Amino acid sequence: MIVDNPFFVLGLSPEASRIEIEREAQKLLGMLELDFADAKAYQTPLGPQPRTPEAVRAAVAALRDPYRRLVAELWARNAPPPRTVPRTETPTTSSRVGLRRSLGWRP
Amino acid sequence: MYVAPYFILFRIHRAALEARRKCRTWHYVLWSVLAGILAGAMIAFGVTLVTAFWLVGLWWLAIPLGALMVLPVVLPPLIRHALVPLGLTRVTYWAARFSRPGADAPAYGACCAAWAFAHAPKPAAEVWLAQQREARIPLGDAEVVVTALMAAGKGDADTCRMLLRSVAMLVEDHPVVRELAGEWLAVDCAERGAWRELHEFSDTHRWPATPLGFFLEGVAARQLNLEGAPSQLELLVRFLFAPHRRATAALYDEAVKVQPAPAPQGDPETPATELDDAPTPLPRAVATHLMFGNGDPTAARLAATVRAWDAALADGTTHSWLARRALELDAPLGAVDRALREVAGAVTEELARAADRGRLGAPPSHGPVGDALARKLRHGRLDALETGFTRWSKRRLDGATRAAIDEWREFIALQAAYADAVNAGGLELRRLAFPHAFSTGSNMAAWLWNTRHEYALSHAISKWLLSEALIVGDTEAIELGHRNCRLDVVTRLGSVPGDVDN
Repeated sequence: MIVDNPFFVLGLSPEASRIEIEREAQKLLGMLELDFADAKAYQTPLGPQPRTPEAVRAAVAALRDPYRRLVAELWARNAPPPRTVPRTETPTTSSRVGLRRSLGWRP
Repeated sequence: MYVAPYFILFRIHRAALEARRKCRTWHYVLWSVLAGILAGAMIAFGVTLVTAFWLVGLWWLAIPLGALMVLPVVLPPLIRHALVPLGLTRVTYWAARFSRPGADAPAYGACCAAWAFAHAPKPAAEVWLAQQREARIPLGDAEVVVTALMAAGKGDADTCRMLLRSVAMLVEDHPVVRELAGEWLAVDCAERGAWRELHEFSDTHRWPATPLGFFLEGVAARQLNLEGAPSQLELLVRFLFAPHRRATAALYDEAVKVQPAPAPQGDPETPATELDDAPTPLPRAVATHLMFGNGDPTAARLAATVRAWDAALADGTTHSWLARRALELDAPLGAVDRALREVAGAVTEELARAADRGRLGAPPSHGPVGDALARKLRHGRLDALETGFTRWSKRRLDGATRAAIDEWREFIALQAAYADAVNAGGLELRRLAFPHAFSTGSNMAAWLWNTRHEYALSHAISKWLLSEALIVGDTEAIELGHRNCRLDVVTRLGSVPGDVDN
């Protein structure tokens, strides 16, 4: 829904035209073929995700279908802005790992 | 005649410990002080008598006398601080038996041995402990605690926690065994920071507190800012009485620094930032959904997410935007409804997985997501429950006999599944699930009582069925439950009078 949303995979806004989508996909496929580091990840609201040629081709195919584009737009338009840093687990401040052990119990 | 004062001291010491187990007020400290003084007096008396015998040349009598008089007093701290950490399973077993913990000393011995096993698990020790446990028929609280601590030794804290909690359902009650179980659970709660859970389970009757457990309960009460929480001085006294002070010092410092919290404003678990800025329901729902997936699933967060989705999918703005965009994209007829259904389905799937992971019930929200989620959770859990109960009853009909502890584990797993299902579906699902649970459970209880002579186990099942029957109002089940629960339960500590309120 969010992580593999075609607009995020291609790094485009939901307003992008069909020509822009095709052009961006060709550009990304070329960059991936040439092993460009910039093309190897894309930003999502849940943090960066790895980009592969298969994901790019699947994204373009999805956006060519009007119904699938409608659903992809629904998600992409309403999602919060993409995050540039990976998601980190929320630390449980109150937990004390190893306390059981130090109080004489296992595990 | 010379040892008569020692036995008087011994009796009073035992009585002081018994009295301590029954309270959780400042009396606990008084009884602890009295027990400590009496223990000191017993050691002093024993040493004096041994010295006297030695001086008059009766050294051969002095040595066993010394062992008999001094060891029972020094063994409990020796077990905790030396034998258990060294993982000496068999030595711990005999030391614990010899420490005279009251009636049925082998029960305490086996539990301490399992505690030692947990520190240094070895296959031979595991086999030996399992043999000790299997030899004890019928099943009681000690055997469940032994199994739990053996699971802890293998790193399975979840099984250990589940088994130790289940001890509360058994009528056989070894106070020393329950103290150990209660301490493990208290330490476990402290490690997870589950102070509310620790406070709720501190029930004097079911779990007499050890000094460490009593201290942790005080910390929990302070952390939760509860009325009646111990004062700083009282907590200091509890801290000084508890073992492992180097490890508990940080907990003490943290607890005394806790300031009374201001009254919460609104729902504390519903994330307010970002969401309140969202102009329309749909971005709000997506943001809530992402935040829910980003943290630990809790009932309040799930409810907020479901509410947000139900509002978003019923919102006119969402529908009109979709209709306009479908026209612009030249989408096929019915694309709007299909898209809404697809979004609702995907969201429901994801939330159902999170709810199952966090063992959460369906929130009371009515809409495309709320209703679908409730249906999905209810059906999935009801199906799993029926399969579990059917498997349980089939095994009895097949004549497959398992160890009593395995029967107990099966029962508590089914009971947990039942609680999950009921949590998800409320009274409606409880009424649907109960007849199956009742028919299988009452047959199993009768079989365990009549054929296997597992009285405590059977009684626990009957008690649970009766409590459920009372909730759903099944008169036939209530009548049968009352009859079964009134039967006296034979345990190793004697016959426990049947009582529906036990």
